[in-house]
Amino acid sequence: MRLWRLAPWRRAPWLVLGSPVTVLAVVVATAVLACALASAPLLLSSARSAALQEQLAPQCAEAARPATSVTLRFPPGTSPEVLAAEADAPRQIWTDLGREPERTLLVLASIGAAGNPQGGLPVRDARGTLLTLPANLLWRPDATEHVEVVASAGAQGVWLPASYAAAAEATVGESISVAGVAVPVAGVYTDLFDTGGGPYWCAYGELYLNAASADVPPPALLLATDEATLTAISSRAGLLVVTEAVPTRTADLTVEVARGLVAEQQRAARAVPEGKATTLLGAGENEQLDAAVERAELVEAGLRGPVVAVAAAAAVLALVLVAASGGFWADRRSAEVRLLAARGAGPGALAGKAALELLAPALVGAAVGWLAARLLVGGLGPADDLDPAAVAAAAAFGAAAFLAGLLAAAVVAGLRAHATVERPLGTAPGRLAAVPWELALVVAAGACWLLLESRDAIVVTGGVAQVNGLLVAFPVLAIAGAALLAARLGTRLLPRLRRRAARLRPPVFLAVNRLAAGPGAAAALLVAVTVPVAVLGYTATLTAGSQTTLAAKVGVQIGADRALISIPQVTPTTATDAVGTVLDRYDGSVVDDAGTATDVQVLAVDPATFAGTAFWDGSFADVPLEELVAALREPAEDGRIPVVAAGLPRGDVELRLGTLPVAAEVAGTARVLPGRRTAEPVVLVAADRLPEVPSAAGSDRQSELWTNGPEGPAVEALTDAGGRLGRSLEPADVLTTADFLGISWTFGYLSALAVFVGLVAAAGLLLHLESRSRSRVAGYVMARRLGLSRRAHLTSLVVELGAVAVAGLGLGALLAAGAVAAVHRRLDVDLLRPPTPLLDVPWPAIGLTVAGALLVAVLAARYAQAAADRADPVSVLREAA
Amino acid sequence: MSAGRAGVVARSLVRTFARGAESVPALAGADLVLTGGEVVAIAGPSGSGKSTLLAVLCGWDTADSGTLTCTGSLAGRRPAELTWAELALVPQSLGLVAELSLADNVLLPARLTGDLPAAERRGHELLADLGLTSVAGRYPHQTSLGEQQRAAVARALVADPAVLLADEPTAHQDREHADALLELIGAQARRGSAVLLATHDEQAWRRADRVLRMRDGRIDEGRIDEGRIPDGAPA
Repeated sequence: MRLWRLAPWRRAPWLVLGSPVTVLAVVVATAVLACALASAPLLLSSARSAALQEQLAPQCAEAARPATSVTLRFPPGTSPEVLAAEADAPRQIWTDLGREPERTLLVLASIGAAGNPQGGLPVRDARGTLLTLPANLLWRPDATEHVEVVASAGAQGVWLPASYAAAAEATVGESISVAGVAVPVAGVYTDLFDTGGGPYWCAYGELYLNAASADVPPPALLLATDEATLTAISSRAGLLVVTEAVPTRTADLTVEVARGLVAEQQRAARAVPEGKATTLLGAGENEQLDAAVERAELVEAGLRGPVVAVAAAAAVLALVLVAASGGFWADRRSAEVRLLAARGAGPGALAGKAALELLAPALVGAAVGWLAARLLVGGLGPADDLDPAAVAAAAAFGAAAFLAGLLAAAVVAGLRAHATVERPLGTAPGRLAAVPWELALVVAAGACWLLLESRDAIVVTGGVAQVNGLLVAFPVLAIAGAALLAARLGTRLLPRLRRRAARLRPPVFLAVNRLAAGPGAAAALLVAVTVPVAVLGYTATLTAGSQTTLAAKVGVQIGADRALISIPQVTPTTATDAVGTVLDRYDGSVVDDAGTATDVQVLAVDPATFAGTAFWDGSFADVPLEELVAALREPAEDGRIPVVAAGLPRGDVELRLGTLPVAAEVAGTARVLPGRRTAEPVVLVAADRLPEVPSAAGSDRQSELWTNGPEGPAVEALTDAGGRLGRSLEPADVLTTADFLGISWTFGYLSALAVFVGLVAAAGLLLHLESRSRSRVAGYVMARRLGLSRRAHLTSLVVELGAVAVAGLGLGALLAAGAVAAVHRRLDVDLLRPPTPLLDVPWPAIGLTVAGALLVAVLAARYAQAAADRADPVSVLREAA
Repeated sequence: MSAGRAGVVARSLVRTFARGAESVPALAGADLVLTGGEVVAIAGPSGSGKSTLLAVLCGWDTADSGTLTCTGSLAGRRPAELTWAELALVPQSLGLVAELSLADNVLLPARLTGDLPAAERRGHELLADLGLTSVAGRYPHQTSLGEQQRAAVARALVADPAVLLADEPTAHQDREHADALLELIGAQARRGSAVLLATHDEQAWRRADRVLRMRDGRIDEGRIDEGRIPDGAPA
């Protein structure tokens, strides 16, 4: 193509292709900007989806299903056909909405002779005897295929649970009466509480489990083989619950879709008509889905502040990089723009020329950035399921990045191109450069800190923990301000360093002189290493700390990974010792000299196995748990048995277990002891030294088996040791993980920003090296002739970049440590549960950061060396000075 | 001249560059004898091949054909192997290291060879002789082109080279500084160095022992005088 024949505005976009490095610089810089902007709505959407999915995942499948549940009442004896027709109304509504619901029919009560509803259906056996236990009746598609079959006739009728069939002495094929309707026993199945039920029965636990009461069993669950059988029985019972639920996949459910489903179920519930033959007692909805959506939005709301702030900071940073790429264009096209400027082209005209030339790379960069954000959030974000609106918003941000980036690059290119001509040699920096404006960042950080002092660092709204935006703003501002100040001070020291380097070996001499010759670049590189390292160190430490603290709170509450609680007392056996430790928990009290009683939890433990199983963190006490437990073996003084306590001072105590006095001495103390489930002090005592506590003493006792292994073998050992599993206390019972996702994601995003800044720094470093390559290569070629070896030159590059990297790593680590020390005590996600925040330094992540920074420095040095090696000395010799 | 003095002999040097489909002969059979103790000036229009000749002589470029031989104390050596003290150069682009002050640039050859303490006095004398003392601590970009050029010459002279090649060493100088430069270069030749100047400067021509004219890649005047072929050079 003969470019010179084209009009300038058509020629310009092609001209930039002559400088691939400029194209690369603009594409990368704009991509970084677009990625920073577009990632915010995508991350928020991803977090929303993940929060929703993580809430729904542990729940029954029905939790995610929009549903309409109607309760119909009608006169007993209503025609089954009429009843079936009116029960179809909810299904029709869902069908009209384009959904295919799944039906469940349930009869939980019947209208008695007095016209009042009575719980359960009356059942008479084949001999006409009324059974003591009433029954509930259920029909779901394929229900009988999800039970363990004891006997089956393969006919229509009802299936009885085995225990109920035994009580009724009913066998398959016999006829029993349910609510006065004779119905054949079509099958017998193993009681669901014996088999556990499985996922199919997950949402129906209350129909067969007796979770609420130990004394009154729930009605027996009869299964109708078909709708007609159930309708026939319910027509005589007078009550029917019809539930239509729309099957929904939870694995990729987004909030936007879920919100639509909630709206649909509200419309469906409102649309349920009054029946002609039935009375509509109520039309319910699936409230779990609505609650999960609200909670997910709460998590997102907590994230929005920090994410928007972080994205804005990243965008500003990226905009600086884009502007720098505009300056790079001006340098690369210096010959042409000097000529144009000399012929009267002003900054505006030169900016216009730059904009035309950089249009295509900026557009490509914005598209790449948007795509990168989409892929990064999809691959590394909390979930890959994004709302269409978020994707559209991200595209809009990408477009904004293109326009803002192009404008910034063009303006800087125009100004720099013009200034290149106007600026005299050796012009001193302006007064503005001497103003320590970075102090403003430090002051702003101080203001954030003061505000944070009077606010909660972690706000818990509706059970969902949200990070106060100040917890993000304070360290970012403080780190950036301190890094800039340190860089400014560092540049002041460079001339002195340069003088000292005069007597050092040539590689070091050259490295120091290169740094001293470009103090601005050296400072920028130092900040570019310091800030990501400090932010990464801060976020990684706080993330690890908050997770460790959460785990510790759970561990303290339970005592170990899992606690199996037994009502009958458990006697330790070899089997229980093999899976964990057995202890008895007593409600007790401590009476002081004034006679005031303080409630305590007394744990009678087995010193031989307790320390090996119980959850422990070194911060809980000044000595290891083993040492504390060993104190329980110390000889009794004055008849006082030694105990270890958290919340009580050392010395003699009058312990009471109900009315039983126990003279004890606190032989060891801890700040926190495992197994603390109330706010009361915890006292450990050796079980074999505690006197027998008669039930008449009135102290509540429960036996527990703490284990860090799987539940199955532990339950078996518990049962063999005379216990019976009342309930199993697990982490999910203590904390809902989804409630704390916002904290991890906030710091995760900040970590991503730090990595992003690191990438920007690496890109900036390459741009910087590239922009200096001409003078560097010319100097290198001559220096080789002067006697500089290639190895010495490479060493000088490694020393130059490595010194900045090491200084940045050291300074970054220092700033991170300062920021962590300032805030980590405030990061208590649950003030009610001990322990207070624990510090957990993520050494692997820090090691990776150090290695990454040093690797970038070495690779950049090798890149610069490779560029120098490619230089043609002849061109250096010929090049005009 | 002394048989031990270093020099360079070039015979029938040919160097052709490709410019698209076109071949451009930069050297088309150039012959040159450069011996220690003399200043040889090469004149010629732009594009006549002067800079290419210097590039080949210093070993940065290789001739397509012809022979290039070091003589005297450098006999048997290839130009590319020579140290700065054996062959120094003032390129047209000057080649100052941008991150070093003028003084550090001048002393860089001595620093790299470990001779800094011994060379410091000579370096500062050269800076003083060339009027650079007041700007010695400045970076190249903080000085004028003329000052940078004088620093490049000082850097070449600091090692007391056996052979000195200079491409337009007075191009950016006023007369006074040009004369000072030429005086120092002449003094270097008097100390036994072989000096070749590619120059348009008539004063340089007048001060030179010989003046050669280059045109279309050939050296037209001052062809090899058989009586002056130094020992060790091929016939």
